[in-house]
Order: sequence, then C-alpha cells, then structure tokens
Amino acid sequence: MNVRRHASIGFAVITGAVLVSACGSTSTVTAPPTSAASSASSSPTAAAVQTGNPTGPQTLSEAGSSLLYPYLQKLAPGISAAFPNITLTPAAGGSGTGQSEALSGTIDLGGSDAYLSSAQVTANPGSLNIPIAVSAQAVNYNLPGITNLKLSGSVIAQIYEGTITTWNNAAIATLNPGVTLPSTPIIPIRRSDSSGDTFIFTSFLSATNPTWSSGPSFGTTVSWPTVASELTASGNPAMVDTLHTTPGGIAYVGVSVEGTALVDGLGEAELENASGSYVQPETTTITAAVTAGATNVPASLAASLIYETGAQAYPIVNFEYLIINPSKITSSDTALAIRTFIEWAISSTGGATQDNLSAVGFVPLPTTVVPLVNTAVAQITG
Amino acid sequence: MILVRRRAGGLPAGPARVARTHSHELSTGDRVLQWVSGAAATVPLAGLLFITIILVVWAIPAIIYSGGTFFTSDKFFIGNFYNPNFSSVNGVVAPFGANYGALTFIIGTMTSSLIALVLAVPISVGGVLMLSEWIPRQLEGPLSTFLELLAGIPSVVFGFWGLTVFGPFLGAHVFPALSHLGVILPFFKGSWAYNGQGLLTASLVLTLMIIPIIASTTRQLVRRVPVLATEGALALGMTKYEVVRVVTIPYVRTGIIASALLGWGRALGETIAVLLIIGMANNPPVNVYGTTSTLASTIAADLDSALGDGTGMAVRAMALLGLLLLTMSLITNLAGRLVVRRISSDALPVGRGV
Repeated sequence: MNVRRHASIGFAVITGAVLVSACGSTSTVTAPPTSAASSASSSPTAAAVQTGNPTGPQTLSEAGSSLLYPYLQKLAPGISAAFPNITLTPAAGGSGTGQSEALSGTIDLGGSDAYLSSAQVTANPGSLNIPIAVSAQAVNYNLPGITNLKLSGSVIAQIYEGTITTWNNAAIATLNPGVTLPSTPIIPIRRSDSSGDTFIFTSFLSATNPTWSSGPSFGTTVSWPTVASELTASGNPAMVDTLHTTPGGIAYVGVSVEGTALVDGLGEAELENASGSYVQPETTTITAAVTAGATNVPASLAASLIYETGAQAYPIVNFEYLIINPSKITSSDTALAIRTFIEWAISSTGGATQDNLSAVGFVPLPTTVVPLVNTAVAQITG
Repeated sequence: MILVRRRAGGLPAGPARVARTHSHELSTGDRVLQWVSGAAATVPLAGLLFITIILVVWAIPAIIYSGGTFFTSDKFFIGNFYNPNFSSVNGVVAPFGANYGALTFIIGTMTSSLIALVLAVPISVGGVLMLSEWIPRQLEGPLSTFLELLAGIPSVVFGFWGLTVFGPFLGAHVFPALSHLGVILPFFKGSWAYNGQGLLTASLVLTLMIIPIIASTTRQLVRRVPVLATEGALALGMTKYEVVRVVTIPYVRTGIIASALLGWGRALGETIAVLLIIGMANNPPVNVYGTTSTLASTIAADLDSALGDGTGMAVRAMALLGLLLLTMSLITNLAGRLVVRRISSDALPVGRGV
C-alpha cells in the first residue's frame, strides 16, 4: 500500500507562514481566532504562534502510543538539526500512559491514538489534543484464493459479536455476488493488549452497527463479546503472524505493518464507506477521508475521521495526537520549545516529509486542520 | 531502620575483643557493616509494606464501587471512557458500564497454576530421582545443569514459543487425541482454539517454567539424604524402589512441598507468557482447552487503557486486582510454611534441614 504523495498540498498554508529554519530567531505562525471551529478553512488571521530556538537547551520528554513512537523517533534528529537547543526524547508505553503522564505533567508530550475523554478534560482544564499526523487501519483476512472480499462495518461487528460465524453467511454473500465463499468458520482475531488500533477499529464498528455501539462501544480496551472461535494477539506484528497461521481468520492491522500482511499473502478487505462504495486503504482513499472529515473538526480537535462520506473515503482513518497539559508547563522556554516542535513537526518542510510519513504509513494533516492546530498550540505559553 | 543485633560470642574472643557489647567500642568497620546490613534487612520489609499500603489505599474506591461483586461477577470491564454518562455505585463514579468482577481472573489464575503444579511436582521429583539413582555420575552433572538452565529462559521466550510452536502443535496433534480420552475422562471433552491458545496450553507452558524451580530444590535435598541411611536400607535387602519410598521420599518430602509452593507462587504471578498463550478471553474457560485470563496477565494487558480513564477508577480497579494477586501469593506462601511446620514435626529428623 502506498500512502505517499499528499504532503505537498497539505501544507500550503503553513509553509507559507512558518519560517522554521532560522536558528535562534523567532518566527510567527498565524492562526485564526477560536471561532475558527465553524470556519476551519477561513484564511489565517489573528492569534500568532511564536516559534524559534529556545535560549537554552530544552529536552522535550515524550511517551505513549506505540503507533506514533516510530514516527517521533524519525522526527527526533530532525528537530535538533533545525533547532539545536531542542531535544526530543520519545518513548513508547501506550496511549493511556501518554495521556496520563502528559496530564499529570510527568512528561511534556503524550503520544496517543485516542483523543482525551470529556472526563479527562474536566479533570485537567485546558488540556489539549493536538493532531500531528493521520493514520489508517486495514481489515485483513486469510482466505486463500479469495481477493477483493467486500465487507461492511456492520458485518464485521456481527463477526466479532459471534452472530456471523461462517464465511458463506448470507450477509457476506450478499456483499460479494459471484464470489464462491467457503463454509469454513470465521476466526476473529483481536488485540489482547491495550491498543490504539482497537480504539480505531471499535470506533468503526460503533459507527456502523447500532448493536455494537450500544454494547461494547469503543475504546483502547473494550468488553469484547464472548466468541468461542476467537483468537487474541499482542501487538500489530503478532496480529499479522496469527492471521497468517489461521485459515479463516480476520484481523485489524495498523497501516504501519500492513505491508507485511500483504507480503504474507493475506487478503485486504474492501470496506463499505458511508457513501456505499467499497474501498481499500490507499493514498487516495485515506486522503479523501481526511479531506471529508477535516471540515467537521471541532476547535477541541477531539475528532473522529471514522466512516466519512465521499465516494472514495476509506472508513477507518484517525488522527495521531500529542496530548499536552499547558497548566503543567511552567517554563516559557519549554513552552516555546513545544510550540516550535509541533509547528515544525506538521510542516512539510520540517518533520512531515514524505519520507518520514511514508516510512510509518501515515499521511499528513489536512490543510484545513492546520489553523485549528495553530490556535491550540498558541495556548501553550508556559 | 533495623539495627543488626550483635550476638554474644559471635566474634573471636581475643584480648582486644573482650566485652564487645558497647557500641562505642565498635571499630569503624563493624559500625559500617552494622548499618549497611541493617539497611539491607530493612529494604525488603519496607518494600513489601510500601507496596501493600499503596495497593490498599489505591484499591479502596474500587472496593467500595464493586463490593461483593468483585468476587462473584465474572465480567471485568473498565468502562466506556467516551460515553457522556457515568456509572455511580455507592457514591463512587466510574466510566459508563464499568464492572470490576474478578471471578474470571480468579478462576483463570487458580486453574492454570494448579494444573501446572499438579504436573510439575511429579515430573520434577521423578526427574531428580532418575538423575540421582539411575543416571551415571558422569551424566548427572550435565543433565542437572541443563535442568537448571531451563530456569534461566526468560518468560517472554516461553510465551513466544508457546504461541508460535507449542500451542499450534498441541492444537493440531495433542488436543485431538486428548479429546478422545473424553470418553473415559470427561474433563478432556470439548473444542479448542485452532492455534492451541487457551488454559491447557498456558498450564503446560507454566509447568515447564516451574519444573526447574521445584527440581533444583529437590535435587539439593536428595543429595543430602544420608548415605548411611540409603546404603543401610540397601544392605537390608531393599530394592531401589523401596529405598526411594522408605528413605529418600520421607527425607525430602517437606522440601518438595516448600519448593512446590515456591513454584506455585511463580505460576500465580507469571504474566507475559500467560498473556500470550491463554487467549485473554473475558470469561472463565468453557472447558480445559478454553480461553480465559489471569490476574497478572489482565493487569499487564489493561493497565495502559486504565491510565486513560478520566475518573481514575480503572487504575484503582487494577490496584484491586494487584492486591488480590498479592494476597493470594502471601496466602500460598504462609500456607506452605504451615504445612512444612506440621509435617516436619511429625516426621522426626526426616525432612529437617530444608
């Protein structure tokens, strides 16, 4: 799968405004006022984001999402090269770790696949979810000889609920006219560990199946229905391995490892989107989803890009967030370093290069969300 | 800090060392040793106290929230963090749908560790007796070393092997045969996961993990069985079987129980290997092959999600699971000591010196 070739357009706005290269100097990124929530695509005005090389060395500690971690590892050398006084020290640990440690002030930046819940924001007023990239997820299956299997979120939900148990079930057959489906049992494979991929996947199931929505709903851990044939795996690579050795299996796999799934000869499902067409995760389909979803992003940036409308929109797409609690950032120099890092990280001439993004299967932030990010970043003042 | 009590007569009674009972007469070296060893003795005790207190304090709201359902409900769910509604029980607010029932994990933990124990004890003891009684001396050393090296294999390697090699092998070749035994032994009836993931595979891997613990202790004990007793028994015309039954086993019995309890403790708390193999289903096993979860593996799997709970209750539920696991380990340990004390008082000199 190829998720390149989107960055250049995505950053027209910000590349025009931010001058990230000048070390020691202070540059300014313009952002619209908070009312931009309703008019995200309006031309940038008002609130300014001060960025630049801090006067003294600043180490930004990051921990959290293991999906985001490889990307931040790629950004770490770049930010120090562009701004010698900024050092980024990324660490994995999981989205929940990233959220809680960033909110408590233990670390500066918390990596998370999920935005903060309202309870977290209530407990930590002013805390921010700042998207820095976009990720997607594939649904794979192990049915030798069957390619381009079409599935809908509702059918997948029924598989994971245990109500659809064989591949030749009428609900699957209806979606795949002309395909001879085997009568073998379906073996749903899910993550056993806390996972951002589970968050995205169950968000998709909740958006498409009311029973799932009112039952297990969505989260990094959900109360999975009991399915006798179900298998579990810890981590994305284990999901691919388990699916590979399990004929009749179905699994959800983050795009960062989707390449290995396809090399393994596993099928990649075409998923029904909100407009009723069937799409696989590709550059064009992820970009279409991002473009459609970006128009509805609220000022809080707590947004789902799941199941967006549009003939080409891929339905399982989400933001990768950095969680920041500005009230715990006491030094203005640290705040400057954080603002500078984020503005640099989302710039196509900074960290969001095609090489960095495609190495982990991410796509850049949509242009329309960048002003909202600037508004949020401007609130980090130390 | 606990100061080390000086034993009277513990030091050489040279002319310069008479009446070493007053601390002002201690040399610098003595005083340093006293403080260092005192600190060392304090660390484990303080650690246990600290962990227990923290767990209890953290778990209290979860105890209030779940009440008796903690032991009676087999549904453990940390709740839906993104639901605008919350669940409130006894004044404690938790995410919507949160239910902290640990019965699944209690059953999973006890069944997996007990199956492992029941298999590991006879294998360990049998293996050690084989080594000491029948295997030639030249081979005993290397074989024992090999047995003890098993203890050095990291548990994640056991887990990986169990998931990728052992489990699929059991699922394809062993479980089908075992299920045929269901005619005679009904608990072997039932279906299993294609790749073997589930209770029995986890128990078998745990068995391998605790064999070296039990076997190495047993070997030390068997080697200390007095030669006089065994050779005397042989001289009386006993067979090897009779010597083992009448002399060796009674002599090492207490030690075997103590080491079995050590192994049980390891099996109760084993985390990553179990997490990979047991299937992590949120329900008690439906049969001996069925998927389920344990206390330790659930804490490892769900802690990160729990940290994302804005009400903070999910982490407290994890603390409650941890407290239960700690309590179970302590009870096993204390029960072991009790058993050892009772048996050793019955069995006269035999079995002492563990």
